[in-house]
Amino acid sequence: MSKPTDLVQGTLDLLILKVIALEPMHGWAIAIRIKQMSNSVLQVGQGSLYPALHKLEHQAWITAEWGESENGRRAKYYSLTREGRRALAHESAQWERLSAAISSIVTA
Amino acid sequence: MNGDWEIPMQWLTRLRLQARALLRGVRVEEEMDEEIRYHLDRQIEVNLAAGMTPEDSRFAALREFGGLDQRREECRDARGVSLIESTFQDATYALRSLRKSPGFTTVAVLSLALGIGANTTIFSFVNAVLLRPLPYPESGRLVTLREQPSDSKGSVAVHPLNFLEWRSRSQSFESMALVQVIPTNLLGSEGAEQITVAQTTSGLFQSFGVTPAIGRAFAEAEARPDGPPVAVLSHAFWQRRFGGDPGVLGRRLELGDGYLTVIGVAPPGLRLGLMEPDAYVPLAIDPSNPGAIGSRSFQCYGRLKPGVTIEAARAEMAVIAAQLARQYPLDEGYGVFVSTLHDYLVMEGRPALRLLMAVVAMVLVIACVNLAGLLMARGLGRRAELALRTSLGATRFRLVQQLVIESLVLSALGGAAGLAVAWWATRGLVSLTGGALATGTSEPIRVDGTCLLFTVGISALTAVAFGLLPAWQASRVDPQAALGERTRGGTADRRHHRLRGALVIAEVALAVVLLVGAGLLLRTFSSLTSVRLGFEPAHTITMRLFLGDRDAEYRIGVVDRILQHVEAVPGVQAASTIQFLPLSGMNCGTAFWLDRQPIGDANHALSTDCSLISRGYFKAMGIPVLQGRGFDARDRTGSPRVVIVNQSFARQYFRDGRALGQRITVAGPGQQAAEVVGIAGDVRHNGLAVDPVPTVFLLHAQAPGYITSLVVRATGDPAALAPSIRRAIGEVDPTQGVAGIRTMEEYLEESLARPRLYAALVAGFAVLALTLAMLGVYGLIAYLVTQRTHEIGIRMALGADRGRIFNGLFRQGAALALGGLALGVGAAYALAHLISALLFGVTATDPTTYAGAAVGLLVMALIATAIPARQAARVDPMMALRYE
Repeated sequence: MSKPTDLVQGTLDLLILKVIALEPMHGWAIAIRIKQMSNSVLQVGQGSLYPALHKLEHQAWITAEWGESENGRRAKYYSLTREGRRALAHESAQWERLSAAISSIVTA
Repeated sequence: MNGDWEIPMQWLTRLRLQARALLRGVRVEEEMDEEIRYHLDRQIEVNLAAGMTPEDSRFAALREFGGLDQRREECRDARGVSLIESTFQDATYALRSLRKSPGFTTVAVLSLALGIGANTTIFSFVNAVLLRPLPYPESGRLVTLREQPSDSKGSVAVHPLNFLEWRSRSQSFESMALVQVIPTNLLGSEGAEQITVAQTTSGLFQSFGVTPAIGRAFAEAEARPDGPPVAVLSHAFWQRRFGGDPGVLGRRLELGDGYLTVIGVAPPGLRLGLMEPDAYVPLAIDPSNPGAIGSRSFQCYGRLKPGVTIEAARAEMAVIAAQLARQYPLDEGYGVFVSTLHDYLVMEGRPALRLLMAVVAMVLVIACVNLAGLLMARGLGRRAELALRTSLGATRFRLVQQLVIESLVLSALGGAAGLAVAWWATRGLVSLTGGALATGTSEPIRVDGTCLLFTVGISALTAVAFGLLPAWQASRVDPQAALGERTRGGTADRRHHRLRGALVIAEVALAVVLLVGAGLLLRTFSSLTSVRLGFEPAHTITMRLFLGDRDAEYRIGVVDRILQHVEAVPGVQAASTIQFLPLSGMNCGTAFWLDRQPIGDANHALSTDCSLISRGYFKAMGIPVLQGRGFDARDRTGSPRVVIVNQSFARQYFRDGRALGQRITVAGPGQQAAEVVGIAGDVRHNGLAVDPVPTVFLLHAQAPGYITSLVVRATGDPAALAPSIRRAIGEVDPTQGVAGIRTMEEYLEESLARPRLYAALVAGFAVLALTLAMLGVYGLIAYLVTQRTHEIGIRMALGADRGRIFNGLFRQGAALALGGLALGVGAAYALAHLISALLFGVTATDPTTYAGAAVGLLVMALIATAIPARQAARVDPMMALRYE
């Protein structure tokens, strides 16, 4: 059922949800935060971040609002919806099971 | 994770965002650009801080972001194509693909146009007759009250005494009025004219909720026996007679026996029952003797108080009727019939309109079933296209959406064409039917806004009805199987054939039901045209006379002199009068006693229809006198009382019908025993479908009435005699007007109008249904032939003869026809009792009609099968094998 891109796309979705679960953020900040949190291991293709954000918004998992950014300019801030929070919990659990399974195979 | 079916909350968000994307597309694009610009600027800042040149910073940011245009396109994709946008896409795509198959499109749109057109046409009648409210304020509160004999289903007119009692005892009504419409002779510069006058108590306008257009209505005080002779003109009469002159108030109308002063003009469109009287005058009831002005011969209208339901009014009137039945002998066995005026007026037309609605609905169902079959075949042909779309990522929902929108486009085209059909057909039908489908208002029957809504509604419903099944089936494609498919005749095909076969059987069955219905109504019509009338309608002209409120001597004398003058007119073979003409919808009844009964005792009275005639009536109307004689010069005012009875009367009341010389006493003023001097043949007086009833004929000269009709038998064209007959009447009495100049053949035609209309309409729709069903049979067999051309070619190449190929296909067609026939005959048999009320001279289960319908259907089905089967048998094996 799942297409090959689903995994990649799904992973990026999970990262985005996780990052903005703490506080509303704009796109650039999300990209930077993912890079920082993964100690620069994960390089989010910056351009592919925005299609993912727009898709999540249309899925009603996240919602967007224009606000003033730290440098005083207008920026689009994304935050989690209730749906999104539920999805995050579900996706994280899914991810943990998957990664545990993979690591148990790889390290065996 | 992201399924096709999402929970409502997400749907709402998506819809909101989609609506925003569609409505504020520019804004959304701008926001996206701003967001990306912000990102790039921040990255450029970082790069600058890291010591890059401004140009390098910018370049690096862009490179890291990836192709800008490509990313923006991805964002648009992520937002999704909106439902609305995709609908537009699908609609244009559907139009394009329909244009590419003009044959299919023509058949589909045409059958939809006929189906929807037929429905809209009949609906325009239903709307005008059944749905549109009467044109009075809060017309739902306007009711009619009648008397309800407990031994009969029908209701009868109201007795003045009961009106007085109802009005004083009931609490449910704001107002109540008693009316009787009578003819009156109006004098004018061009001779006398007969007009209709509604004698009414003062509450009439109040009950209808209207007020006079000019002037005033009469007050209660004016409605007394010696009250002033005032009149309120009807709007139409005011226009016709006075050219709408506002100075009409105070003018006088000269009558044959007095005058009327105009005090007002009624508002336009006020109708009593189905007619608009020429004037309204006060009706005075003497409370001490209400029966003095007449018996059960009045109409009663009332207006319910606000908030009072018709059921509450009925309950109250039932109580009052029970009280009255205990108090007055004349009310024994009578209840009160209360109905909204609208319901009462449409009572007669309702069953027929319901029948027609059911018939056109069946036609539409057949059209839908047909179309579903065609679409399924089309879906099968497009399997590869749909499979390709599925493998490119279209969801099943998306495919169904596309196919349903295609159906909607088709049904919209069909609906638009159907509306044109309906507009044309409604006009045609209105002029064809005349008053056969009467409405309670003067508003025309036409395709109005309500009908338009109806058309849009059924078009949409139709699209779903014929589109959903094929769409669901076609969308069930397995891309691999469909794309890899090279051989035909797989399981999908077999399932498809079975389903289409079932659809064809269903439509054939419906067509059979309609054919049987049409057959029964046609046989009814033919029975009615060949029914024994009992009189000779040809060469007979009639006109109504109002003799005026004059003394008996005048009323007897004037008829006598008129007959003498009319008989002298060249071309007149015979002339006479009768109070109510056969087939005119009017009759009268009377109480009577046989000689052996206690004469005068109301409790032992028998009742019979009666006719007041003049000498020579049987000759003028062409009715045979079977025994004894008709009235002649011997029978005069002072001569011994004589009566003539019809054959039914003689058979019912005398052993072996030996009525001649017997004596009966007919109730009435100065009643006395009369000898039966003749027995006349039976006449269908009360309608073509109504068997003759016992009738006694009384002589006008011995029991004069106030109104009568002249009957003149001509040697040649009766209508040509009308002017000279009118002149002859004017010579006798210039104050004598006439009305309703019609030949008996016209009355006959009018009686046939409804049955003819029903038979013609149902037959027309049945033919339409048959054609559509045969198109379905033909379509399926022709489809099988094209699907199996290859196989047929192989079989022929291997030596199968053409006859066997033909027979094989022919058997399949015959199976469809026979299956449909069996189902249809069963359904018709089960449903037939629903129209038995409209039948005459044929039973609802008439075997001949069923056999005729079956034979007609089989012949058509065989033709529909034989054409494609013959084509199959002519297949050239070489061509067939090269096919594909």
